[in-house]
Amino acid sequence: MKFQFENLQQMLIMEGHGPYVWTAVLVSVAMMAWLIIKPLADRRAALKDVAADIARTAQSNGET
Amino acid sequence: MNWLSNWSPSWQWFHRLGSPRWFYQTTGRWLPWLSLLALALLGTGLVWGLGFAPQDAKQGNSFRIIYLHVPASFLALAGYYIMAIAGAVGLIWKMKLSYMVMKSAAPIGAVLTFLALFTGAVWGKPTWGTYWVWDARITSMLILLFLYLGVLALQYAFHSNEAGNRASAILALVGTVNIPIIYKSVDWWYTLHQPATIKLTSAPSMHPDMFQPLLVMILGFYCFYTVVLFLFTRAEILRRERKTTWVKELVLGEPQS
Repeated sequence: MKFQFENLQQMLIMEGHGPYVWTAVLVSVAMMAWLIIKPLADRRAALKDVAADIARTAQSNGET
Repeated sequence: MNWLSNWSPSWQWFHRLGSPRWFYQTTGRWLPWLSLLALALLGTGLVWGLGFAPQDAKQGNSFRIIYLHVPASFLALAGYYIMAIAGAVGLIWKMKLSYMVMKSAAPIGAVLTFLALFTGAVWGKPTWGTYWVWDARITSMLILLFLYLGVLALQYAFHSNEAGNRASAILALVGTVNIPIIYKSVDWWYTLHQPATIKLTSAPSMHPDMFQPLLVMILGFYCFYTVVLFLFTRAEILRRERKTTWVKELVLGEPQS
């Protein structure tokens, strides 16, 4: 197995195909990152909701 | 392995599988390992494919897009099976968890199908001279994207969860007709898209030096898919079960993380 380019700059250019290849890579990585971040944010929001709900119940129990 | 020792010949395992709480706890234990595995495979495969695999004799370096295009397409299709089967199980056994999996599979599938189309388009430009053609493979993949979006939209089109779930599941099941069409499109119609390089029944028509990193990427995408399907389903479980005691206990026992 051997590195196919002379250096990293050549790897970026890829004999003219660089823009196509790297666009595909960047868009894929960005969208895959979104697939991870979105449910984690949803989970956080759901946990916050439940915590707020518990606090509210505790408060109204204390008042009565 | 606790769940293995509890394996009983009765249908107990099936009911446990249907328990959102059980799913949440079990996947919570698996997630760290699966995520690590996915990251390692995707990292290795991408560096290998982009830097070390030999370039294609005819297509040059643009062929390297294959390392994203093919795994994304694989999982776009495999994800549809998951969504349709989850929908069917939900319809037949009225299993809540199954519907949650179906709902979670829709946005993931939509993103992967979009990626398959997008990476295909930027590969098509230097290879075919065009970003887009209305040929059988590409058009049937576009229909797949609309099916995913349709299932997602139906979830929000009804006031009751139950009606939305049933409508989504039926659309998902009807949409499975499209799957064999996608697979066979490169054989049935004249198309610019090349025929399948990898088949289960025969050796790949690809040099091993090119094929090995592709295999690593495909495995990596399968792991990645499992991880994000778990993440989406877990978030949905918490949202739907927010009034239950076990979720409240979870929040009380575990400060915001």
